[in-house]
Parts: sequence; structure tokens; C-alpha cells
Amino acid sequence: MKIETTLSGSYPKLPTEPGALNVRVVRNRMDQGKATERDLSEAIVETTRRVLALQDSAGIDIPVDGQVAWDDEQTYVARALQGFEIAGLIRYLDTNTYYRQPEIVGPIAWTKPILVEEWKRAQGMARRPVKAVLPGPYSLYRFSKDRHYKDPAEALRDLGAAIAREVKSLEDAGATWIHFEEPWVGRARAEDAALIQAALSPVFAGRTAKTVLHVPFRAPTAVFPALCELGWSVLGLDLVGAPEAWELIPRMPHGRTVALGLIDARNTKLEDAAKVAQAVARARSKRSDLTWQLCPTASLEYLPADKAALKVSRLVEAARLASRNGG
Amino acid sequence: MPRGLWTTTVGSFPKPPHIERARNQHARGEISAEKLFELEREATIQVIRDQEEIGLEILVDGELYRGDMTTFFAERMEGFAISNPVRSYGNRYYRKPIAVGPIRRKSAWTVDWWKFAQSLTTKPVKGMLTGPYTMMDWSFNEHYPSREALAMDLAEAIREEALALEAAGAKYIQVDEPAVSVRPEELKLAVRALGRAVEGLKAKTITHICYGDFDVIYPAMLDLPVDMIDLEMANSRYDLLERFRANPFTKEIGYGVLDVHSHRVETKEEVKRGILRGLEFLKPEQMYIDPDCGLKTRTVEEAKEKLRVMVAAVREVRQEQGITA
Repeated sequence: MKIETTLSGSYPKLPTEPGALNVRVVRNRMDQGKATERDLSEAIVETTRRVLALQDSAGIDIPVDGQVAWDDEQTYVARALQGFEIAGLIRYLDTNTYYRQPEIVGPIAWTKPILVEEWKRAQGMARRPVKAVLPGPYSLYRFSKDRHYKDPAEALRDLGAAIAREVKSLEDAGATWIHFEEPWVGRARAEDAALIQAALSPVFAGRTAKTVLHVPFRAPTAVFPALCELGWSVLGLDLVGAPEAWELIPRMPHGRTVALGLIDARNTKLEDAAKVAQAVARARSKRSDLTWQLCPTASLEYLPADKAALKVSRLVEAARLASRNGG
Repeated sequence: MPRGLWTTTVGSFPKPPHIERARNQHARGEISAEKLFELEREATIQVIRDQEEIGLEILVDGELYRGDMTTFFAERMEGFAISNPVRSYGNRYYRKPIAVGPIRRKSAWTVDWWKFAQSLTTKPVKGMLTGPYTMMDWSFNEHYPSREALAMDLAEAIREEALALEAAGAKYIQVDEPAVSVRPEELKLAVRALGRAVEGLKAKTITHICYGDFDVIYPAMLDLPVDMIDLEMANSRYDLLERFRANPFTKEIGYGVLDVHSHRVETKEEVKRGILRGLEFLKPEQMYIDPDCGLKTRTVEEAKEKLRVMVAAVREVRQEQGITA
């Protein structure tokens, strides 16, 4: 059975070839008044094209657009929702990257499509279905400062409903894969289960697209029973940063897909494809009724562009090896 | 009469445009290392003059000769390679160290710069290093079998530099550990590694922590084996003080009163309010007043203006509260 390959989150924006269009340089030139908004838009489009082409030539089955226009993983969506303001810089968990903290200052509501146009543009550049990537509502809430709601459950219901509206827009536009990045689910305690369900139920209910709940960095052990009740198609696990996530595989709901995060997105050391394929075989040996994807543990933007490209190639190599071995 | 509220800064000062230009020219091979060094020394003289003119009491060399706070040190150690740029936020990138072999200190990293800066002033100049836990956490690791092994080898190397700074005469040695605030489960490792890095020092030892979730590491972070912990207070609207109510802050504190990520210059009144709120929880002799973090993200003029306001606010609070320097 073929092991599908995919990425999660964002992808390095800098070119690996000297002289190629560099969105960082264009942004700097814009800050100096030497480039225009149009120059930046063109650089974003061309960088997206390059990120997709790289995945295409490597053989990634379900590519992502790389979130080239995003400053961080939260604010691009949060600033487009009603009820949010964007405040100061804060460290993004333990990654030594930063985000501007969204602040909830009023009732959260979706007012217009946020990612649809760029998803359509990315899909127009790709031969394979492009996965739309969104911040998961639970993590978006946990990354934010709530200055409005008295009850987190109410805030999470509203935020879940708002993200669900965006998902519906993406589905209506033709998206067949929707991915939710949920690092805070891995940090949740058992008593957070009801809040997670309040946030995530609306985004998974009644979907026509396949959905991915991706939990990087830590294993969602404490809330796993609650996660199993949700309607996601794929659960993404970080099996390098959180080896205890292996223990969740035997407990997976029947017939679902696991995205095996076996390529370390947070270290430059390149994996041995044969060893990764062996790890895939180990997962398969635990459950014959599940299907499998292979992916990095998290966003590849934690790596420099040259190393990320090598990891993408190694990911595909390992998946092909695992597919052959699995017969 | 109580003493306290000494003024200082966290470490970096803004690089003047001509230094940024010169660094870029040097990276492209257009000017020599000697020329860049000469320009950096001239600019450091100016940074010391500026601090004296503003009236700061414990000075820094401004770190105009450094790029990133981990890469600068990694470039000078055996065992590290340096990556291509990695994004930290928006359009900001840095080159990240990669541990590719055993980490060793080959030669002094900062001692000559410290000696030079100290020769320019009679006020104390802090020795400024990045801590072993943060160096480990902010590096890729292709060599060591564990995070602990990398952190403890870094601690040995950093300790050698700290001892060299002390031997050169440094009375204050700051070993920054901003990464401590994000992995509470590794706080014990951070305590052990930092403890080794400062072991046996007679100088006043300081560590700076910022931009993390203090809910999860306070009060355990008081175990960090240094005399003073430097914290961002203004950026979090002094929310940290509420934690001191239940668990008093038992060390000296570097008390950040300037938001270094904002172009806006604080008013003297708001800085005074911040200090006075601190005095509800802390003794003046515990408090060193400074910006939230390094000033390198501001322009030279913004940084100077913010610091002038800070010093003026401290002087007024001292006068009103009967506190001396």
C-alpha cells in the first residue's frame, strides 16, 4: 500500500539558488521605500510557485503553499476575524521563533473568506491537490490573550464556528484537504477535553474535504479519548519530539489515517531513509486497519531552506521505500 | 536612607547605520576585518559616552560587534558550524549554530572587548555572555546524544570565558538564558548548566530571561544560581508582579521598564508608575532598573531617548521615596 507524503504548516521562503527572487530582500527594499506593494505581491506569488514546484519535483503527494505571506502561524488568520486585535511579540512555544499575540477584544466572528483566494492561486500552480493549512481553533485561543470572554468554552465555541466558516469557504472553492495545526492539543490536560471538543467539533463536523488534525511537538495523550470522538480523517503525530506518541497508534479509531511525523523538522541532521522506512513498518505492524502518511514532525520553516529541501527529498525516498517494503 | 534602583541596560545597543553598512560590506568582502574592527571600536566609544551622558550607572559595551546572541559565540567555539538563515518572525532571520563536534572554547570571545569598554569609563561595565541552556536550545544538534550532553559541554566552555572576564576585572557578569522560560520540564537542566557556567565566580552574577510563560516557571526559576534575574516587566504590563504577591521574589531583579519592541518613547510618568508598582513588592536595594531586553531593535535615537526617560524617572522616584544610589 502506498504511503502518501505531505508537509505541514509553513515552508522556508528563501531561495537556495543565488540570484533567485528573494521575498526577504523585497520586503527589506519595501521598508526602505525602494519596492512597492505590487513588487511584494509578485515576490509572494513567485515564492509560492517555487515552494510548490520543489514539492512537485520531489514527489510530495499532498503539497502545501508554504504560507509565504504569513508573518507567523497565528496572526494571518486572527487579524482577519472579527473580535481580534494583534499585540506584542511573544515567543512561539519553545521554538525560538516568535508571533504577535492575538488579543480577543470582542465577540469572535468570521466575516469574509481569508485563505480562499490564495488557496485557489496555489492550486492553480500545482498538479496535485494543495492542502489548505489553518491554525486550529484550540491552539489559536491558547496563543491569544482573552480580554473579552468570561468563559473560555464560549470563546472556543465562537472561534470554532468562525474557523468552520472558513473551512466551508475553502471546501466550496474546491479544497479537498484541510489541515489544522494544533500544537496546544499536545499540551492539554485531561480536564481540557471538553474545551477542545467545543473548539474542534464544528471544524470537523459534516466535512466533504479530508481533514488533518496535526499535533506537533508533544503527544496528545491526556486528551486522546476526546480526540477520537472528533471527525478528522488524519491525525498527525510528532514521533521524534514526542516518542510517547507511539503509544497512541494502537489506540487509534478504526479505519482512520495516521500521519507519521518521522522526519525531524527541528534538527538539521538528515534521517536515514531506511531507518525511517523501518519505523513506518513498525507503525504498520501495530494496526493493519489504518492507513498511513509520512510527514515532517512540524513546519519545515524551523530549518534553513537548503536543509528543508534535503528533508523533503529524504521524506519521499523513505515513503517510497516503506511503500515497497509494505507491498 | 535605603539605597537602590540602580540603572543599567540588558546588553545590546542599536547598531548605527554606518556599522550595519560596514558589516554588510565586510560580509560581501568589500572591506577588511581590520576596517570593520576599527569602526566598531569607534562606535563602542560612542556607546560608552552615550551611557555616561544619559547617566546610567552600570554600563555595557553595546555588543555592536555581535550579530545574533548565539551565533556570535558559536562562531568562536570549536564544534559548531553555522546554518543558512532561519526565520524567527516576519522578515527577521538569523543563522543558527549547528553542533557538529565536541564543543570547546578555543580562545577568549569577549574579554578584549570588555577590557576596551572598561578602559573608557570609571563606571562598571558588565561582562555579557549567552548561557549554556539557551545556546543548546537555540542550536541544531548533529553530534551530541542528548540535549543535556550539549548543554553541559557548553557550560564548561562558557565557564572558562566567565572566569576570564572575572580575571580581567569584571564585577558584573551576565549570562543570559532567555530560553529558560519555555520548557519548564527542563528547568533543572538549565539550573545545572547555568550553575556550572557561573560556579566559583565572585563577581555579581546575572541572568536575563524574557518573552516566555512565567506562569509555568515561577517561582521555580528562583532556583537559577545567580545573584540577579533580569526580567521584562513593561512588555507584560507588570503582570509578573502579581506572582510576587504569593511567592516573593527572593533575588535581586533587573526590572524592565521600557518596551524594546515599540517605537514609542515611554513617558516619565508611566515609567515612574511601573517602578512604584514594583516597590510595592520589592525592596529598592533589590531593584536594578533597565529596559525589558536588548535595545538593538530600536534606532540609536529611540534608544537614547527611552533611556533618558528611564533615568529621569528613577531620579524622581529616588528623590520622592528618599532612596540613594
